[in-house]
Amino acid sequence: MKRNYLKTAMIFFACFGFLLATNALAAPKKIVIGHPACLSGKYAKAGEQAIGGVKACIDWVNNVYGGVQVAGKKLPLAYKYYDCESKKEAVTSLIARLITVNKVNVVFSAYSSGLTLRGAPVAESHGMLYMDHGGANNKIFRQGFKYIVQTIGPATNYHQGTLNMIQKVDPKAKKVALAYEDSEFAKMVMHGAEGHAKKLGFNVVFKRTYPKGVTDLTPLLSALKASKPDFIIGGGHFEDGQLFNRQMADLDIDVKALSLIAAATLPAFYKALTSMAEGVMGPSHWEYGVKYSVEEAKKVGLNWIGPDQDEFVALFKKALGKEIIPDYHAAEAGAQVLAYVLAVEKADSLDTRKVRAALGDLTFMSFYGGWDVDDTGLQVGHSMVDVQWQMGKRIIVWPKEAQTGDVAYPMPTFAEKARGKVALPR
Amino acid sequence: MLLEQLSGNLIQGIILGAVYGMATMGLSLIFGVLKVVNVGHGAFIMVGAFVTLWLFNALGINPIIALPGAFVIGMGLGLIFYYTTMQRLIKAPELATLLATFSIGILLEELVKLIFGSEFRGYNWVVGKIDIGVTVLPLSKLYACIGSVIIALLLYLWFKKTRAGSAIRSVVEDSEGARVCGVNVGGAYALSFALGIGLTVSSGVLLTMFIPVGINPYMGGGYTLKAFVIAVLGGLSSPYGAFFGGLVFGLIENGSYTLFALIPGVEPFALTRFLSFVILLAILLIKPTGLLSTK
Repeated sequence: MKRNYLKTAMIFFACFGFLLATNALAAPKKIVIGHPACLSGKYAKAGEQAIGGVKACIDWVNNVYGGVQVAGKKLPLAYKYYDCESKKEAVTSLIARLITVNKVNVVFSAYSSGLTLRGAPVAESHGMLYMDHGGANNKIFRQGFKYIVQTIGPATNYHQGTLNMIQKVDPKAKKVALAYEDSEFAKMVMHGAEGHAKKLGFNVVFKRTYPKGVTDLTPLLSALKASKPDFIIGGGHFEDGQLFNRQMADLDIDVKALSLIAAATLPAFYKALTSMAEGVMGPSHWEYGVKYSVEEAKKVGLNWIGPDQDEFVALFKKALGKEIIPDYHAAEAGAQVLAYVLAVEKADSLDTRKVRAALGDLTFMSFYGGWDVDDTGLQVGHSMVDVQWQMGKRIIVWPKEAQTGDVAYPMPTFAEKARGKVALPR
Repeated sequence: MLLEQLSGNLIQGIILGAVYGMATMGLSLIFGVLKVVNVGHGAFIMVGAFVTLWLFNALGINPIIALPGAFVIGMGLGLIFYYTTMQRLIKAPELATLLATFSIGILLEELVKLIFGSEFRGYNWVVGKIDIGVTVLPLSKLYACIGSVIIALLLYLWFKKTRAGSAIRSVVEDSEGARVCGVNVGGAYALSFALGIGLTVSSGVLLTMFIPVGINPYMGGGYTLKAFVIAVLGGLSSPYGAFFGGLVFGLIENGSYTLFALIPGVEPFALTRFLSFVILLAILLIKPTGLLSTK
């Protein structure tokens, strides 16, 4: 009798052990992307766009591309995301949850440099690949993290195109004013812009920052007005960009050009400011109308992957169930899915180290443009475009090879805008 | 040039300060009568901002006409929240009322987000400007300032000249004594809470006349912090003190910027905030009842 019990117990444990072993050795049935997304809080707008972009490209990979080829099998992509409420403390706990509970294969960062940087050590401590589509600050890549890779372009490049363009269209414009938000990201943009402006021979006549969450920029703008700049570059995030433009109008600060990061390229910017936004510019990572295509990729010797621009827009609308055109937040998040897919296929593995190494060697083009990273994971292959509001529409005005229209320079004065004058190229 | 900038900023500071003062009067009124610290204060300002935005964008109603509408909506909200929540917590420990007002604030934010979304919005009401040499003043800002002063005066007169105002003042002095004299203390509490919320929602309209952009469900947080500083400056339980506290705050915020800008290598904005809180601390240490309090 005793022997029978022992025999049964041994068979039970053997079966249990076998089940565990087969489960551990079994090939994964899907590849899971984890994401502490900004569904609410101050980055909710960008967060919604990012989710739409990721879902659109997952849809394309699963249903058009046929899944991700790894170890002789085609695996579908799955997407697990939580709302981080645009808060740093939520980002860290959610990344830990995604890795340890949901067992995701890769983590996409939340939006903004601050949130991306906050999540990086958590992903790093778990040896998890951490892909950054929303944190442009170069400092993120100077911390020695091994598993972080950037899709969004670095902050130092944001205003370089704008400065190149103004030098080209108006060589007489020499005085530039810089006024940025006092955030890591915006200060890095300012640093890059100042260096590039000096390199091009511009005279920086004003350089100041303003705090996050500012509700009145009048004192700063009054001082800026007194410096009599030819053009102004600045901004930080969406809310202060709106305020900046509005209070420039209130104080009648007329300059030949105004370029604001993060804010000016979004439809809500024009919706809020209407005629006051005419002629205002902003650098963008991607804009509907850019001319990246299979042919363009061939011309520059890059492989192409992913939907074309219109396919992406259709998939994005389907993903969100809304009739809206995606902005660059969606495009960069979507392109990141494509980069991960190519890297997994190149590595032929889901192992973090192998995929990270493959990402380091990867160059390709998609609807988002070029993709290439340096040894630290910083994006070096993607070029930005400059967008200007003309007659209520966003026109890509720089660089020449990407433009959908000429720049309206100088932009109308605020008094002219109040009388209904729109920005039109001369 | 410096003097020109300084005077320009001080004028802008007075205008902004009047609006800040008005935005704090509701907070002080509620604390003065009910001894409730409304930490959801900013959310009611946000409601006022959305009322203006919606009336302007959807119906073309200008913010001046929206002002009484916002006041009525605010009074209504105040009565609803008083009778459903605050009435039961009047005698409860302070933490209960703090948590209740905090929850009301979050409830409003999420409700507005559900209806309007989380986008930063704005409207463009072009009514002209006056160039006074040292600065340019948009008429919308002047209207906001004048509106704030008129509302503060009306509130003062209402408290001094009406029976309901006198009843509330008697409740503030001695609620038991007022009850013995036949004053409906519960009614006075409800009216004060509703009036305080009505004033706060109205101030949201005036604030958007000053800054008609950045309207979003979470915009109230910054204003709550400022309102507390202003309320302490003016005396936490005095609505009139709060109004003058607002003027002082506006002057400090705008005026000190020009002076701090003279110090090489510093960012003036960081120092203006620093100065505001240093002054707040100093007042709390020297005169904890507030700068303009008679106690």
